[in-house]
Amino acid sequence: MMPGHIVRFAIAIVAFAILARLPVGLDPAFQFDAALAVIWGFGILSLVLLTGYAGQVSLCQATFAGVAAYGAGMTVAGMHGGYLLGIIIGVLAATVLGVIVGLPALRLHGITLAIVTLGIALVFDKYVFQDHIFDWFTGGTGGWQVTQASLFGIPVDSSKHLLTAYDVMLALFCMVAVLMVNLHQSGAGRRFRAIRDSELAASTMGVNLARYKLLAFALSASIAGMGGSFYPLIAGSVSPQPFWVFTSLQLAAIGVLMGVRYVPAAALGGLFMAVVPDVLTRYGHGTFMNRFNYDISYDWFQLAVGVLLVLQLILLPDGVWGDIRAKALRAWDVVRMKPREEVRPA
Amino acid sequence: MTMLRIRNLGVRFGGVVALHGVSLDLNRGEILGLIGPNGAGKTTLFNCISGVIAPNEGTIHFEGRSLRFAPPHERARRGIARTFQNLQLWGSMTVLENLELPIDAIARRNTLSDALGLPFSHYAERAASERARAILHALGLGRYRDRLAADLPAGIQRRVELGRALAMRPKLVLLDEPAAGLDAGETEQLAKLLHKVRERFRVSMLLVDHDMSLVMRVCDYIYVLDFGKVLSRGEPPVVRNDQKVIAAYLGEPTPELVEASPTVPEPVITTTIPDAPQLPRTDAVEVAGETGTLLEVTGMAAGYAHLEVIRDIDLTVQAGEVVACIGANGAGKTTTLRAISGVIRPRAGRVTFGGHDITGARPEHIARLGLAHIPEGRGLFPRLSVEDTLRLAVDAAGKPERLEAAYDVFPRLKQRCRQAVGTLSGGEQQMVAMARAILTQPRLLMIDEMSQGLAPTIVCQLFQMIDVFRQQGTAVLLVEQFVESALAVADRAYIFEHGSIVHEAPAEELRRDRGLISGSYLGSAPDSTEAIEVAANGNGHHRVLDPELMEILSMRVPAEVKRALEERAEREGRSAGALALELLEEVNHTQ
Ligand SMILES: Nc1ncnc2c1ncn2[C@@H]1O[C@H](COP(=O)(O)OP(=O)(O)OP(=O)(O)O)[C@@H](O)[C@H]1O
Ligand SMILES: [Mg+2]
Repeated sequence: MMPGHIVRFAIAIVAFAILARLPVGLDPAFQFDAALAVIWGFGILSLVLLTGYAGQVSLCQATFAGVAAYGAGMTVAGMHGGYLLGIIIGVLAATVLGVIVGLPALRLHGITLAIVTLGIALVFDKYVFQDHIFDWFTGGTGGWQVTQASLFGIPVDSSKHLLTAYDVMLALFCMVAVLMVNLHQSGAGRRFRAIRDSELAASTMGVNLARYKLLAFALSASIAGMGGSFYPLIAGSVSPQPFWVFTSLQLAAIGVLMGVRYVPAAALGGLFMAVVPDVLTRYGHGTFMNRFNYDISYDWFQLAVGVLLVLQLILLPDGVWGDIRAKALRAWDVVRMKPREEVRPA
Repeated sequence: MTMLRIRNLGVRFGGVVALHGVSLDLNRGEILGLIGPNGAGKTTLFNCISGVIAPNEGTIHFEGRSLRFAPPHERARRGIARTFQNLQLWGSMTVLENLELPIDAIARRNTLSDALGLPFSHYAERAASERARAILHALGLGRYRDRLAADLPAGIQRRVELGRALAMRPKLVLLDEPAAGLDAGETEQLAKLLHKVRERFRVSMLLVDHDMSLVMRVCDYIYVLDFGKVLSRGEPPVVRNDQKVIAAYLGEPTPELVEASPTVPEPVITTTIPDAPQLPRTDAVEVAGETGTLLEVTGMAAGYAHLEVIRDIDLTVQAGEVVACIGANGAGKTTTLRAISGVIRPRAGRVTFGGHDITGARPEHIARLGLAHIPEGRGLFPRLSVEDTLRLAVDAAGKPERLEAAYDVFPRLKQRCRQAVGTLSGGEQQMVAMARAILTQPRLLMIDEMSQGLAPTIVCQLFQMIDVFRQQGTAVLLVEQFVESALAVADRAYIFEHGSIVHEAPAEELRRDRGLISGSYLGSAPDSTEAIEVAANGNGHHRVLDPELMEILSMRVPAEVKRALEERAEREGRSAGALALELLEEVNHTQ
C-alpha cells in the first residue's frame, strides 16, 4: 500500500461513519430514500468508470441494475437461495449483459452508441421486464417478494432491518469508490483515460482497445448491478418501474450534472436522485402564505433536472463536484501561500 | 538485415489513390527519410505500418513476420512506435502519465491488482514512473512533468510525443514531421538527438518531414513519394540533385530550405508564380489608400489558468505592413496572436484595431472588423468539405468564381474540393486554412507557423503571396519557423524572449546583423540545449550517457537518495542523469 492508498482508505472510513449516521432516527420513508440513494449512487458510480474514465457513452445503466435486481430476486424468492448468492448471481448477470452491450461499442462512438444503448434499455424495459415469456426471471406480474433475508447471519430486510441493509450497502459503496480512485491513479486507469482522450494514440501505443472497452463495460455493469441487486432487499419486491428507460436517462443526466469524472459525484448524485423527488411529492403541495396554492409533483423533478443540466453545462462544465474540487484546490494553494507561477518560456 | 519490408502496397480512399505499388526496405539501425509533396501518401504509409488502416493490397513484414493480421497494439508490442502529424497526446493526462502509459501498456498490467493496489502493481507503477522521468530529463522536459499535456505549446507537445514513442522501447520509430514548428536551432538539436537515440538504443527510424535541413542531415537513405508512388530513392545527395525530385517537390534550392547554414546571404526566392493571383476586393474595405496605424497593442499580458505566459507586450502594425515575430519555441508568440484575436482574454493592456478598442472582445466580433487569424491548430471543421469551408469564408452571398482565386493558389484543393477537411493530409489542411483566411480579404492577416507541414515549393509560393498582399494593402503579422525567409519578406520584426518583446528592428537590419537573432534563440532555450547535450554526450566530456545506466540509476537507487539527487539537479539547473553519472565517476576514481 502506498501512502495514497492509506489516505483514500481513511477518507472512505470517515465518509462511511458520517453517512451511516445520517438516516438514523428519521421516519422509515426517509430511511428508504437513503437506501435508494446508495443504489442510484452505484448507478452513477458505474457511469463514472464508463463515461468519466473510459469516455464511452451508455444510456442503459438502469437496465444493468434491473437485471441484477431480478437476478437476485429470482435466486432468493424463486430458488430459495441465500441473499449473498442472490447478489452474486445478480451481479454476474449484469456483467454478462455489460459485455454484450460492450460489443457494439467496439465499433460505435458518441451519439450512435448512445442510441444503441438506449435501444437496449427500451428492449429490456418492454420485452424482458414486462413480458410473460420471462416470468421465470421476473417472477410474473407480481414480481418477486423478498420478505426475510439475511447476510452473514445478520437479518437484513425491508420491514424491520432497513438500516442494517443500508449500512451493508454503504460499506460496499465506500469500498468500491476507493477501488475506483485507486484504479484512476494506476496503470489500468491510465489506459481507460487514454482511450477517452485519443483512441488512435492509445491503440498505437499498445493499448488493446477491444479488451479495455469490454472491460470498462463489464466493470461498469457489475457496479451498477451491485446497487441493483440490493433493491429487492430494501423494497421487499422487484418491479420493472424503477429500472425503466427513464431512470437510465436520469442517471446519465445527473451523473453529468454532478461531474461524471469524479467518484464523489456519485454520492452526491445518488442522494439527489433519491431524496429530491420524494421531498417534492411529499411536501410539494400546500398553501403559501395562506393564499397561494401550489402543487409540485414528481414531474417537476424531471423539468428541474433538465434546467439544472443546461445551467451546469454553461456555468460548471466540469460538473458540481468538479467545480467544488477546483475551488478547494485553489483555496489550498492560497493556504500554502504557493506563489502564482512565474512567467516561463512555456 | 531487413527489418521492415514493404512490397507493392496500395491504398485507395474511394476514388483517391493514396498509395500505389509502394515497396520499401528498412535495415536495422537505419534512418530512412520519406519525403514528397503534400498529399503524396506519406502519412498514409505510416498508418499502414502502424495498423491504423488496412491496405487494399500489398504486404508488410516486420522482422520477417507478416503484420497483416496484427492489430495496432500488437504491432506496438512487437516494437513499432510512432508520432502523429496532428498531435495526439492524451490531453487530460499529465506529461508524466503520457510517458508512463506506453511503458505499462507493453508490460500487460493487471486491472484487479491495480485497483487493489497490490505490491506487484506498486512496484510496476514505480518502475514505469521512474523510467518516464528519466526520459523526460533526457529530453529536457523535466519541468513540464506535472502539466496537463493539452496546456502545452505545440512545439513542446511534439517533443513529448517523441518521448512517448521512445518510452515504449521501440525497435522502429515512425516520425511524422517532428520538426514542424521548430526553428533552425531546435531542428539542429533534434537532428543530434535522433542520431544519438539511434546509436544508443539501436532504433531504426522512418522520418517524414518537409524541413530538408533535417532530412538531408539525419537520413541514411531517402525515398521520395509523389502521387502515392515512389518517384525516386537514393542517398541524400543523389536525391537532392535528382531533377524529377526538384521539379515535383524541392523547387529550386533556396539556401535555407535545403540546408541550414547559419550565415547565408539574403535568401533568393527563385520560383515564381506565373500570375500572381489578384484577389478581388470588396468595396467595404478601402484599398491601398489605407494608411496609419492599423493594430496597436500596449502593455498586454496574457496566459492560461495559473500561468502568465506573456507580459508588457507593445506592438504596432501599420496598414499594409508585413511584420514578423521571431523567437524560440515557447517565447510567447502564439499566445500574443491569440490574445490579439480574442481567442484568449488579455489580462492587462490595450489592443486597438483600426481605431476600435478590441481588448477582450469576442473573436467573431474582431474577425468581422477585418482581422483574420490562422491558428497553429488550423481551426477547421473536420466534417465540412473543402468547398463548403471556403464558401463559408466568402459569405453566404459570395460568388463562386471568387473561390477560383483560392484554387489558383492551391490547385491541389480543387482536386479535393468535395472531400471532408478532416480526411485531408496535414499539408492540405494547412492550405485550406490559408485559403480561407485569404478569401475573407482581411485588413490584417495573422499567420501562426504558415509553412508548417507544407512542401518547400509551396512555402516559396506562399512567401511570394505575402508580397502580393503588401502590394494590395493587406497587413500581415507573421510567426514563422523559417526566420530567413520571414525576414526576407518582412518590413519589420519583433524579437520575443521569455514572454516579452526584447527588441524591435527593421527586417533589413536584422538580416545584416545576425547576432541579434541568434542571441535570442540561444538565450531562450538553455534548458533543452543542455539537456539534449547531456542525453547525447553524458556530462559534456563526450561520454555517452548510457540509457541502461540511466534506468538503473532511476530504479535501484533508494528514494531518498534519488530525491536528494533531483533536488540538487534542480538547484544547479542540470539533469539528474548527468549529475548521477558525475558522482559515479567520482566514486570510481577514489576506489
Ligand atoms: N480518409 C480519407 N478519405 C479520403 N481521402 C484521404 C483519406 N485519408 C487521406 N486521404 C487522401 O490521401 C492522400 C494522401 O494523404 P497523406 O495524409 O498520406 O499525405 P501526406 O503525404 O502525409 O501529406 P502531407 O505532407 O501534407 O502530410 C491525400 O490526398 C488525402 O487527401
Ligand atoms: Mg502527412
